[in-house]
Amino acid sequence: MVHTLRQTSGTTLTSRENWGTLFLILPALVFIASWFLIPLGQLFALSLSSEAGPLASYAELIGSSVFRRVFVNTMVLACIVTIICVVLAYPTAYLLTKLRGFWFSVALYCVLVPFWISVLVRTFSWMLLLERNGPINSFLMYSGITTSPINMLFNNFSVYLGMVHVLLPYAIFPMYSSMLRVDNRLLQASEGLGARGTTTFLRVYLPLTMPGVLAGGAFVLLLALGFYITPTLLGGLQNLTAAMLIDNFVNERLVWPLAAAASFILLGLVLGILALASKFLSLGSLVGMR
Amino acid sequence: MITRRNVLHAGAVLGAASAFGSAIGKRSWAQGRPFTFCSWGGALSEVEKMAFVDPFAKEKGIEIANVSPTNYAKLKAMVEANAVDWDVVTVGGYFIYTGKDTNLLEPVDYSIVKADHVAPYWRTEYGVYTTTGASVIAYNTDAFPEGSRPESWADFWNVKDFPGPRSLYSRLWYNYEAALRAAGVSKEEIYPATEEKMKLAFAKLKEIKPHVSVWWTAGAQPPQLLSTGEVAMAMAWSGRVAAAIHEGAPVAMTFKDAIAWGNAFVVPKGTPNRDLAMELISYAVSPSSQERLLPVGTYGPILEDVSARATSEQAKFIVTHPDNIKDAVIQNDAEVSAYVIKYEAEWQKFQLG
Repeated sequence: MVHTLRQTSGTTLTSRENWGTLFLILPALVFIASWFLIPLGQLFALSLSSEAGPLASYAELIGSSVFRRVFVNTMVLACIVTIICVVLAYPTAYLLTKLRGFWFSVALYCVLVPFWISVLVRTFSWMLLLERNGPINSFLMYSGITTSPINMLFNNFSVYLGMVHVLLPYAIFPMYSSMLRVDNRLLQASEGLGARGTTTFLRVYLPLTMPGVLAGGAFVLLLALGFYITPTLLGGLQNLTAAMLIDNFVNERLVWPLAAAASFILLGLVLGILALASKFLSLGSLVGMR
Repeated sequence: MITRRNVLHAGAVLGAASAFGSAIGKRSWAQGRPFTFCSWGGALSEVEKMAFVDPFAKEKGIEIANVSPTNYAKLKAMVEANAVDWDVVTVGGYFIYTGKDTNLLEPVDYSIVKADHVAPYWRTEYGVYTTTGASVIAYNTDAFPEGSRPESWADFWNVKDFPGPRSLYSRLWYNYEAALRAAGVSKEEIYPATEEKMKLAFAKLKEIKPHVSVWWTAGAQPPQLLSTGEVAMAMAWSGRVAAAIHEGAPVAMTFKDAIAWGNAFVVPKGTPNRDLAMELISYAVSPSSQERLLPVGTYGPILEDVSARATSEQAKFIVTHPDNIKDAVIQNDAEVSAYVIKYEAEWQKFQLG
């Protein structure tokens, strides 16, 4: 599908093909316009509808030191989670490309099955595992590694752990698909020309799989920015994220213009990251195409 | 990915589906829907259904739909879209004032609601309290056996004589009241919440913060944290602790220094069933309805003379029983709704540390 589109767009389209293409994408266009663009416009109008003037909500948010800190914290959290995910996902994706048959299925299901389980269920499971008298602490104390239980819950550690667990597959799959497309003959050629393993990896394999790394990283980063359940349940008092602040504006304080403005600031950040990412890779490779 | 929004959306779809189902069953309603009562769900909804809603429906010969959970944002959306689906809603007390200020509620019509026998702090211009509970000091009985049990917020703050990790609520309310009690402020002087008292409360909270390992968000958390020993002592909702005690968990609580609060009935602005809604409120605060709360053991009556009739076993779980309420602070929701907004940034700063 992708290839045929690209081939036809290279040549001049006949008007019949033009109409055909338009007809094919029309349902998607209508859907996106009516269920995404129009509500987004309404949300933007809402963000300007504060009683104190059109830009008052934005001014209140940007002027608040608490809000700025929460946004910085959210960014830092998302960046650290992204780095951990990328570092863990790369060898996992590589392993997936090397396994065959039964072991490939086992490894694939190890990645996929948690992906299919509800985030809420997985978050609660972490709470049970990490608590003071939970199995992990019991084991550590039984085996004599520690004498008193370690605080693993309701702090940065549990938030990172929970988020990495949820987001890891989003990093693995784009990397895996880019690794599958690496032509093995290139690696053989590099070896044949006298390059050592590390050189081949750094100068041939890594650059070829970089689009997958960036795509996976961008996915994880964007999703992590809007995380709500995991930091709420696994985090401590200080793990306040932008999504939790927006929830507070919507459900408790009932200041919807403020919530809308905060959403647009978050959206602006996301678009900024996307723009930056698209400097290094085409948007097509973001969704795993080349 | 599951976000809160997805969950809410799924809830809305389910809600719409069930509303559709009941609409097929009963086509005769004038507004296309039955009289609807909305509450938080769980034990509270069950109690309200048993004590107020079902008997009222039977007496009136009508059918009442019970829905949950209460959601302030949804209530606001309904009122603003002039499509009110809820006739009576159970809210946390402070929402009486938030709802009034944001123009979302019908004023209580005291020509229909017979509430002269209700204590003035349980009946207000825009809502009437119907059930009570308390934020109490609860603890693990292995950590604090008979003879060494905490009995005040001062004890809660005293980590030397009562060692062990603590848990407090993740919002400013309850904590403001508890911190002032720990600082030695008398019950009568907790309100009004002045700048000076708020400063004192924050100073006290900073003092206990290093010992608070969990700031809970959901009422189910403290009994769970206490029974597994994750924390030794916690601020908790009395009804939730009672449920844990009934299940045999190694947990106990005291009503000494409790912060008593109520769940209030409010009527969303623009409901087509306003008069019937007022009648339900009147019915709920009648002594005969209130008496049905006595054996429940989770949420208690608002009427102290009804509570006084509780057996000694029942009284253990009823904050408005004369033996209990004399040691409790009654939360002033008008004050709470004002101070949460005024000191929100301060609280978030405290959160971020």
